[in-house]
Parts: sequence; C-alpha cells; structure tokens
Amino acid sequence: MSLNFYRRVAFGLSPNETPDKDPLNWAINQLDTIPDLLWPGTIPTEKDLRKKYGEWVYGDREVLRKKFKNDKHAYRKAKDELRIKTGERYFELNEHAIRHFQTKYSKQPVFERFWLFWGNHFAISEKDFLAEFSTGPYQREIIRPNMVKTFEEMVQSVTTSWCMIHHLDNSESFGPNSKKGMEWGETINENHARELLELHTVSPNAGYTQEDVIQLAYIMTGWVHKWDRKNLETGDIWFDQEMHQKGDKIVLGVKYKNDAKRELAKVIHDLATHPICIKFVSTKLCRHFITDEPTDEMIKPVIEAWNKSNGNLIEIHKAVITQAYKYNEITHKFHPPEIWLMQLSRMFDLNIPLSFEKMNYTFKSKPNNRQRQLSWILREIGHSPYRAKQPNGWSDLEVDWVSPELLLRRFWFASVELPMLVKSGNRSHDFILACLKNNFEDHENMASLIENFRFGTSDYDLGQKYGVICNLPGVLKI
Amino acid sequence: MNCTRRNFLIGGSTTLFLSGYFPKISFASMQKKNLIIISLRGGMDGLTAVPVIGDKRLKKLRKKLILEDVLNLNSDFGLHPKLEIFHKLWQKNQAAFVHATNIPYTGRSHFDGQNLMETGAHIPYKEKTGWLGRGLLASDIIGKGLAISLPMPLLLRGVPQNNNFFPSPDFVETKLIDQIYNEFKGEHNELIKSTLDTIRQRPLSMQIATDSDDRKKLALEAAKQLKDQSGPRVAVFDLDGFDTHAAQGGVDGAHADELEEVNKIVTILHENLGQAFDNTLILTLTEFGRTIKQNGGYGTEHGYGSAILMAGGLIKKSQVYTDWPGLKKKELFEGRDLNSTIDSRAVYNSAMSICFNQDPEFLRKEVFWGDELPDLSQELFKI
Repeated sequence: MSLNFYRRVAFGLSPNETPDKDPLNWAINQLDTIPDLLWPGTIPTEKDLRKKYGEWVYGDREVLRKKFKNDKHAYRKAKDELRIKTGERYFELNEHAIRHFQTKYSKQPVFERFWLFWGNHFAISEKDFLAEFSTGPYQREIIRPNMVKTFEEMVQSVTTSWCMIHHLDNSESFGPNSKKGMEWGETINENHARELLELHTVSPNAGYTQEDVIQLAYIMTGWVHKWDRKNLETGDIWFDQEMHQKGDKIVLGVKYKNDAKRELAKVIHDLATHPICIKFVSTKLCRHFITDEPTDEMIKPVIEAWNKSNGNLIEIHKAVITQAYKYNEITHKFHPPEIWLMQLSRMFDLNIPLSFEKMNYTFKSKPNNRQRQLSWILREIGHSPYRAKQPNGWSDLEVDWVSPELLLRRFWFASVELPMLVKSGNRSHDFILACLKNNFEDHENMASLIENFRFGTSDYDLGQKYGVICNLPGVLKI
Repeated sequence: MNCTRRNFLIGGSTTLFLSGYFPKISFASMQKKNLIIISLRGGMDGLTAVPVIGDKRLKKLRKKLILEDVLNLNSDFGLHPKLEIFHKLWQKNQAAFVHATNIPYTGRSHFDGQNLMETGAHIPYKEKTGWLGRGLLASDIIGKGLAISLPMPLLLRGVPQNNNFFPSPDFVETKLIDQIYNEFKGEHNELIKSTLDTIRQRPLSMQIATDSDDRKKLALEAAKQLKDQSGPRVAVFDLDGFDTHAAQGGVDGAHADELEEVNKIVTILHENLGQAFDNTLILTLTEFGRTIKQNGGYGTEHGYGSAILMAGGLIKKSQVYTDWPGLKKKELFEGRDLNSTIDSRAVYNSAMSICFNQDPEFLRKEVFWGDELPDLSQELFKI
C-alpha cells in the first residue's frame, strides 16, 4: 500500500509517526469515538459566542448607528472599538487555531477528515457575522458530537441549530395561515426548506417540485430564534406555534398530519432515510475521499453499509475508508488548499497554529499579526474555511480549485511564507529528506529536484526547496 | 420631472420585438470588443448615484441624504459628484445610465440577491454557472475571461479556461514552475499542467506582487490586458461595501466613498485602454437598490430598483434610459422602494450581444432560458 493513503484519508505522517503495518485497520480504528479537542487555549461555547454576537450587532445597530448618524468617521472609530471589545476580530482566528491544532496533533486524523467533510456538507456560508462568531462553534458542537450517531440525528441537530436557522433565514418564515402570519400579513421564506432538500438530504435527483419546497417550508415554520430587544436575533431556537402553518402538508408524496412541532422530526426521518438521499450523500463521501467522478461500483458498498446500519455514521465512515483503501492505487484526488496546508503542517511539523499562550486575547486592542497569521494564510491561499460563498460549501472538484491565481498562491505560500514557519530545529536538509521518506514512495526523485539547495538553510533556500516540493503533482494530488 | 412613461414608449423598445436581428459585418465588428462588469456588492443606491432632480417627496424622505452639488445630466437627473469620470464621458456620448432597473428579485437578502445577479436565474442557488460564463460559452469565446479576484466569480463560471488576476502579497518566482513542470505527467495532471501553461505565458506585468487591495494597480493591469487584441474580452471587477445602513451621507458619506471606487476604476480603464476604449462597454451590476426613506441611522435599508452605470465607446449616446415609475407612495414597490421597470438582465443580454457579435435572441435563449428580455441594443449601444 502506498504511503499516499495517509494523505488520502488523513494528513500524512508527522516526523514522529511511522507507517502502520495495517493501514486499513489503522484508519478504521479511528472512527468509533470522538477524539477530544486538543487545543490547550480557550474553547468558548457556541452560546457564549452567540452572546458576543448579540453584543456586537446590538451595539452597532441600535447604539452606534444612531449616535453617530452625522459623522461617518466617528462612527467608524466607535465601531472599531466595539469590534475589539466584543472580539469580533478575534474569535474566528481562535477557531482556526483550534481546528488546525486538532488536524495537526489528533491521534484520530481520519476522524478529523470526516469532521471537515461534514462541516462542509452542512456548510454555513459567509453571511452576517456567522464566520466571526458562530461557524466554528457550530462545527464543534453540532457537527462533531453527531459523527458517531446516525445521519438522521445529524440532520435533526443541524436543522434546528441556531447557526443554520440564522444562515438560511428560517426565523423569517411565517406560515401564512398562522396567527402571526395572518396578523402581520407575512408568509414563508423557502430558503431553508430548499437547502434541506437540495443540499443536505435528497438533492434535486429526488425530483421534488416547487410545491414540495413550499410544503416543507410550511412544516418548518415556527422553528425560530427567540427575539428580544436587547439580544435581537441571537436568542435560542424554539418552536413558535403562532408562526406555524396549520393543516396537513405533503412532501414528496407523503402526507404529514397537522402535528405542530412534531412534524419536522417526521419529515426529516423520511428525507434522511430516502434511498436517493443515501445515494447522494454516499456519492459525495466517495467524491471527497476517492475521486471526483466515483463509479457506482465504488459507491455501492457505502450504500449497503448505510442500509445495513440504518444510517449509522460510524459504519458509513468505515465503508468509505474501505473503498478509499481499495481504490487507492488507481484513483487520484486533488487536495483543496486548506487540506493541503494541514498536510504540510503535519508532515513537516510547521509552526502553525500559534501557541495557545500567544493566541491569548485581552479584548483591549486589535489582534496582532501573529495571531492573525493562520487566518491570513488561509484567506490568501483562497480557502478561508468558514467563508464559503454559498450554502453548498466548498467544492470537492479539482476543476474549481485550479485557476492561475490559486496555483500561484500555493507557490507563494510554499516559497515565501512557509520558511518562516519552519521550527528552528528543523531547518536542515536531512530533516526535509526524512519527512519526504516518511510520506512519499518517490522521495528519492523529489529529493533530487531540491538537491541543488542541499547545503542551504536560509529562508531563501528553504523557500526554493519547499516551493518545489509542496507543488509537485504528488503533493497537490494523490 | 418631465420624464414620463409615454416618452419612454415613444423612444423605447416596443418596436424591437418586431424587428429582426441583422448583424452588420463591418470593420468595427472585426475589432475585439471588451465587456467589463463591475459588481457592486451590498446594494448600490441608484438614487444616490443618479438622483432625480426636484422631487419633493425624495427631499422630504431623505432630508439628511440629499446631495448639494450634483453634476448636471439633464432636466430630470443629476449625477453624484464623485462620479466625475461618468460626467466627463457623458459630454462625449460615452456614458449613460439605466434607471429604475434591477434583476427580477425582490427578496432583499444580499446573499440570495448576489447569487441571482450572477446566475441571472429566478431561484437562489439553483444555477451553478453565471450568465456571463454562459454567454461566452454560447458565443464560443473560450479562455477570454479575466476575473480581478482570487476565486473565479460565479458570474464567469460555465466557460472553461478563464484567467484571473489578484496578485499575491509577495513576488512569486515563476521559475519554480519550470523546475517541476515536467513532473506533471499523465492525463490526471493535464488540468494543472495547462493552468501552469497559462501562468507561464503571462506577460511580466502580470507577475507583479502587490497589495490585492490596491485596485488601481489591478485596474491598470486589466486595461493593459484588454487592450491587447489577443487578450481577454471580458473582465470582472468586484467591489463591496455598498450596504450603507448608517451614515450613508450625501456628497461625502459612506456611499460616496464606494462610488468613488467605481469612479477610480473607470478612470483608470479609460485612461489606459486608449483606443480600445472605443470598443469597450463597462457596466455595473448590483443585487438591489435601497429604500427611499432614510433610516434612524441616516442610512438606508435594502430595497429593490437601482441603476446601472455604463461607460465606453460602444455606448450609443448619453442618456438616462428609464421607464420612470415615480416616487409617490403608491408608485413605490411595496410602498417603500424605487420600483424596477426594466429587467436589468435585458441590458446585460443586449451588452453581450454587442460585445460578442451575437444575436440577442439566441443569447436570451441560451443564457436566460428564453425569459422575456427585450433587445435594448439599438437604444443603448452602437450596433
């Protein structure tokens, strides 16, 4: 088995790891439990950060905008101060550190790859201040604990999470015949219902109609955040009967009797166990780990595992890994920038993320450059994880990641930025050779390409070496 | 306010449904024509950019936002003083505006609106390609799109081999590519290899390192590329910050700052395109306009109808092209927003037909699913 399996399903091997005798077993054994988050620094709760979100929007919208309505400069200044006080510029940096610390040091890196996958399947795209305050904790607290449960349970948690409801506007969806809908002349917002069908569960392959979307939106009415004057839209999610559409609903030919808040669980059960949903999500998993165009033959065992285990994600993950192992030698897969960065960080033991002591924040001034470094790199290489442009998340297809600028950014990172992230004890040529040997069959060929710089240990020399190595076809892809 | 619906219909597009499309083969059509789109994200306020003059109701509702020194366009409309270049080009029949226009989207979400302004569709997230990408593909113009941004904008997706330019913060030694180029073997490495080819063929000027926030340099480079007869035919710029919920202000407010950015880009393009400016169309694109009434923070909320700012040698004449819906309460969309009486996609479809030498009817079907979009080429552009 090629060493590239460790990069196909994980992040490669760090300098103190060695290849396992049984790589398949090594991978499969990582999926039964949820590894603890290893970050030694602060890991705030979703609820705490939502409170900060509330302070930020209230402070800006209700206080500063009114106070400085005649003075854009004073307004900007006051807004910047509020940013510092509420951590608006800080929490996303901290989340990136938590995430990259985990993928670098986790003893269950295969589990972590699935964590990234599900966070992106149930993507929160860039909207309002979700990236600043909410998407990180959502991935930690909603996605992660559900990864040892069933797919259906994960969909339930995601669909009623504050983050997703805010992201897809369900709080603005009123049943037109509900008490509040009638009083205020409001109607549904279909956004969340559409994405629940299209992106999260059955996909357009199910052939649902606009009427199905509307009917599902009716079922979802009432699942909203609790609104109050001080916290605005950042209150907890609850079911507001006065917004809920009355009457029976029909989605994909199935009738759901008028049953208030219980309707949602029923329809999610049907969607999450629908054969087209199972095929759609299985295909997506295979696409992520095996190849851009997985064949039916590749996908079939995953579907079987799904059916046999009633959608148990542990079993599904194991089936995906088994297939990834089986096809490892004959398929290729391109790595998007963030996974590439995580792999370089693990394989070459780079100095990212910053130590937790240095990430510590006092809420008195802007986060410093060191604290911003990882997030800045992610943005510059084109893959700031919580800022996907659309609710369908980041693409799994090579074609979406190969543009001239995006490739140039990788050359830039490897040759200019990376040398500054090499730990002082790791600057020797031998260190690079050892890392290559640990991770690549053709390490000798790779070494020959940087042979000219073997005596160099300056930043420039390291840049020449890493600039070449990190952009080789066998590193960009497996 | 003299501009009435009647005026519009006389000079307007009603006859166009009857007239067929007769492409003229002339020297001009042999020249490469450039289409430049500037996305104004956040919701550009058409009434700040191209204010209607002497409307009492607007004055009343926007006490703190009324502009003092508008540039004069005609008896009905003025121009924001920060949009100087448009005023200068207006004198030469090289700038025009379409007013009370928008994509057919009334939902007021940035998120959905920006998706729709790029896909040109009716339902957010349904389409995964942009109208410009589809227009290029339908016109068989491949590898001629240039995005001035890091990710390929949705607007340009749907056609392969686009270039993008958004230099990294430091110089990248492209000779590193030479060292590994031959390592890309086999079919599965073809895509990367051909993209490396695109990079290697780049002119030196595109290999600069710069602050990507420096729009001047980006616009300068775009102009250079577009000027080249074998260079790109389409360029897409991205600006944001138009979402001015507070301190929107008048001449110097937050919205003015953003308009100034547009002005800067167009100025640089105009100065540096030289003769190629004559064969160029520059159009803005936004997701929606803003409310008529100022809010408690002297800003405005998300609205509906906005305006398209247009410049370039392919503009037919200086004009504010509109079917003005009026600003009386009952004339407003949902009683609060300037209405949209022209589907802005008709303008973009017509612009593509001009720049891509393509039958608008054909494009309408290929790009916009045959939606009813009148051909405005004869009204707006030089055919």
